[in-house]
Amino acid sequence: MKTFLSLPVVWVFLTLAVFFLAQRLHKRLGWALTTPILVTIFVLILLLSVFDVDFGTYDSGGKFLSFFLGPSVVALGVLFYEKLDEIKSNLLPFCIAVFVGGICSILSLIFILMALKAPEVLMRSLAPKSVTTPIAIEIAKSVGGVPSITAGIVIAVGIFGNAFGIYILRFLGITSKTAIGTALGTASHGIGTARALEESELSGVYSGLALCVNGLVTAIVTPLVIDWILV
Amino acid sequence: MLKSLTIIFLFLILGEFVNYIFKVPVAGNIIGMVLIFLALKFKLIKLEMVKPASDKLLKYLVLFFVPYGVGLMVHFDTIKAHWFSIGLAVLGSTILTLYLTAFIQEKLQKK
Repeated sequence: MKTFLSLPVVWVFLTLAVFFLAQRLHKRLGWALTTPILVTIFVLILLLSVFDVDFGTYDSGGKFLSFFLGPSVVALGVLFYEKLDEIKSNLLPFCIAVFVGGICSILSLIFILMALKAPEVLMRSLAPKSVTTPIAIEIAKSVGGVPSITAGIVIAVGIFGNAFGIYILRFLGITSKTAIGTALGTASHGIGTARALEESELSGVYSGLALCVNGLVTAIVTPLVIDWILV
Repeated sequence: MLKSLTIIFLFLILGEFVNYIFKVPVAGNIIGMVLIFLALKFKLIKLEMVKPASDKLLKYLVLFFVPYGVGLMVHFDTIKAHWFSIGLAVLGSTILTLYLTAFIQEKLQKK
């Protein structure tokens, strides 16, 4: 049984199957906590612990799926080109907002962790916490963070933005649909964008573009900031 | 589909090549993202040439990072040891980013 469970294809199948079922579940319930990615990761970790299989064995199958993150990041560039027309009239304010927001995300995270005397590896892993997971993983790798910690926290940030972002913004007096979209995309990437799309088409477009632009801003700025603050 | 997938991989390779030659600290696939955007913008390639593959990839994007999420199991102890710092930093920074971004966008945009 142990040898069978260490076949890569077993874990490719289970990942696909669990993800498929998680999507079904989410369609029926629609809660932020049933976000398919969260349920899938939770169930897979549970299965691995129950069958006492280590992560290396899982990843001998899993790497065939994560390989496709590379071309998917390139595909984000295509998405950005397609949607760019829709915000032409507000391009400059939009870019300034995302740029400032993106830098604020990196700096505030590092400063709070420094104030709490947290280990440096956490700063390196969490600095890209606001950008879409595939880009965040690449950034974490290039600044010496731990990509799996990055992935876990990035997903958590997305779910937080999805579930509470709009209420927090309204509470703080933000009313504009475009501003809500831009903020959700900048601070909580694709999972936040899903919520912006539910709010309105306009919020969704701004959010989707914000996640692309902030992905780029954070990819360029994070290595510079890390070099500058943490020598 | 095959043609568009090939072009996507071409830009991925180009990005990796730029990263390799110039030793920039930005990952190859992110450079590829910028290059394909520029190629579309300056009409070196047409949208229809890449759209079939890019739409499919984006549709399943979430599935592709499941393995990294599962990898979290290796780091439970690190997270448990620092849960308070992580929680406070992530929450504080996310709320600040949400508000600052929305505030600037709302103040600067044309009504």
